[in-house]
Amino acid sequence: MSRVTPQITILAAIAAVALVALIALGCQSTPPAAQAPIIQTVVVRETQVVEKVVEKVVEKPVEKVVEKQVVVTAAPKGRLVYNSYQSDPEPRKQDADLVNLFRQKYPNIDLEHNTVDHEGFKQAIRTYLASSRPPDVMTWFAGNRARFFIDKGLIMDISDVWKKEGWLEKYPKGFQALSSVDGKQYFVPTSYYWWALYYHKPTLEKAGVQPPKTFDDLLAACDKLRAAGVAPIAIGTKAPWTAAGWFDYLNMRTNGPDFHINLMLGKEKYDDPRVKKTFDNWKKMLDKKCFIENPASYAWQEVIPFMLQGKAGMYLMGQFIMDSVPKENQKDFDFVRFPIIDPSVKIGEDAPTDGYFAAAKAPNPEAAKTFLAFLGSKEAQEYFAKSLQRLPTHGDVDPKIFSPETQKGIELIKGADYVAQFYDRDTTPEMAEKGMAAFQDFMADPSKIDGLLTNLEKERARIFAEQQ
Amino acid sequence: MAVGRVEAGQRPQARARKGRPLGVSQWTPYLFLVVPLALFLMWVIGPLFYSFYLSLTNWDGISAPKLVGLANYRRLFADPIFYTAVWNNVKWLISFITVPVIMGLALAMALNRNIPGARLIKAIFYSPYILSLVVVGLIFGWIYLPAGGLLNSTLSTLGLGALSKGWLSDKGLATWCIIAAAVWRQVGYVMTLYLAGLQGVDPSLVDASKVDGANSWQAFRHVILPLLNPVTVVVVVISIIDSLRSFDLVYIMTRGGPANASTVMANFMYIEAFNNYNMGYAASIAVILFLITSIFIFIYLARVMATEMEY
Repeated sequence: MSRVTPQITILAAIAAVALVALIALGCQSTPPAAQAPIIQTVVVRETQVVEKVVEKVVEKPVEKVVEKQVVVTAAPKGRLVYNSYQSDPEPRKQDADLVNLFRQKYPNIDLEHNTVDHEGFKQAIRTYLASSRPPDVMTWFAGNRARFFIDKGLIMDISDVWKKEGWLEKYPKGFQALSSVDGKQYFVPTSYYWWALYYHKPTLEKAGVQPPKTFDDLLAACDKLRAAGVAPIAIGTKAPWTAAGWFDYLNMRTNGPDFHINLMLGKEKYDDPRVKKTFDNWKKMLDKKCFIENPASYAWQEVIPFMLQGKAGMYLMGQFIMDSVPKENQKDFDFVRFPIIDPSVKIGEDAPTDGYFAAAKAPNPEAAKTFLAFLGSKEAQEYFAKSLQRLPTHGDVDPKIFSPETQKGIELIKGADYVAQFYDRDTTPEMAEKGMAAFQDFMADPSKIDGLLTNLEKERARIFAEQQ
Repeated sequence: MAVGRVEAGQRPQARARKGRPLGVSQWTPYLFLVVPLALFLMWVIGPLFYSFYLSLTNWDGISAPKLVGLANYRRLFADPIFYTAVWNNVKWLISFITVPVIMGLALAMALNRNIPGARLIKAIFYSPYILSLVVVGLIFGWIYLPAGGLLNSTLSTLGLGALSKGWLSDKGLATWCIIAAAVWRQVGYVMTLYLAGLQGVDPSLVDASKVDGANSWQAFRHVILPLLNPVTVVVVVISIIDSLRSFDLVYIMTRGGPANASTVMANFMYIEAFNNYNMGYAASIAVILFLITSIFIFIYLARVMATEMEY
């Protein structure tokens, strides 16, 4: 025994090492093939040939036909790095498709596409931007989150792309404002989505509940659903931004979007009696046990099964909730505008806008601009709108391609007096972190509200004082 | 590691004194040390001092750092989350130097004999340790799920449904639930260390004590345990350091929530640095964590050096 065992162990070890080495070798050679079918590799090889040809061809026409700008746009080539946070399965697939479309259209550009998980991307972006060779193009959030980097000179001025593509006429004013600082454009907003009160139709019907239009309807619905043995509202606050959605809406419906946005910008105080009023409304819901038990135990997707099983009725969430609902169950879901609390107050909606920008220090600015022009084009936006039901920002996109769901979402946003981005995009990341922890705390024990608000106000004063 | 290097460096020197002329070989050990020392300075000592420097600035990860004196520390000592984090680290520490140490020692004593299947049982107890902390965190996250989680389902099957809870969403319980997962992983490791230590215990000493009329407990208490002292020191120090640097499980299972109730210093530092982008403030947390950890490391090193002197 004792003689055989070491030999076997050594043999096994050698075999294991060899296996690992083989796998490693295999991995090194496979990625291009694994990510894209063989046809792709062939295309890549062709491009190298094409590249040479194009170089020769391009040289002459550029000298002769200088007015033809089309030739110049075909010129950018070389390596282009694109880092994306589209890491959820569905958006990730569409993102890759879009990249492949671009590769076909601009074979001279060797586009490297990296997908980083959403949370990790948010943490890494400062490192990307501070490095001497940042990725050329990145996904990001429009509004304050982008403004922070623009003010620090880290985002490329792409006013020329906006002009050349005619976007100043084609994009609605609101999106232009989101992308511009001092009349210059820095950002390409490409899609946005609405937030709404989603509900599971069969569950509400069974309990005899109509989708709520007013806050009183909502409270009554809570009672009815509880009586039917159903948790009225699903929420998972393990990552606490879901609670921030409730704060956004309750605050906008109680005090109006103007007050809300000033609070986000640090111009109003958290110990203001109006904020307290918002929490009083929230407390009414907690007193009626409107939410599922132990929300902090679940990630936001983990409570969707409760709705599918008829154990929970409603869910305040962004349109991307549908990415996580199985295809065959999607017909059971519908949404309504978040209930009105005070009819005299203006209607604000959350519609976070996503898009792209190029780093100021991008190693290949020409290719970066070409890619941004492609991403902001009608063609690319139609693709995204069709595949993911997100709302395109480009004014030329034909509304006929939209599904009934998307058209309903557009109506929702059109009916709003003000469109906010979302709590953690409208205020600073640090304030958002403190605020969301407080919301989590409040949901667990509403009686602590006064202490929480005093504390939040202290944090607000410090954070926004440091900002100046 | 540093200790090992110095030792390795001294040996050729000693040999040189005997054989070769002094002039040539005096510098040889230092030449050998240049590369590791340079790397050590660049990757360990350098960043250490850089963190000290950062803790005196308001760096946000992008703008140029501006010196702000001790403002970060003043804020830290007034921050309630800091005290929650420290208190939770203390809970980790106390649990780690008691539960896994006692359980590991008990298991080692029980399995350190020729009973059939002992090897298999040892392997089973050790196996959790080879799992990555992320995997442990996810598994226990599922076990603790309030609806359909293994723990609550088991309780309700046993008719103890009244005891079922939202384990990780309860502010008072969350930390203990995470520690339980960590302890589960740690016990097998401690057991292995003690099993190795027991190999060094001379059986004739135990036999001699038995001949002198000691019962099993007395033999364990007065013969085996004192002989295991060096192992116990290592185990306790490792447990302390592991408990202070706990991060993975907390981040995976609760992200420090609900409402920072289960945060520990490393998690608090991470959130401040990479979520709130307060690099300066996070650096000051790192410095405090470093100072606390270094107390234990110095105690450990002092002990190791003292025992080495004896030989």
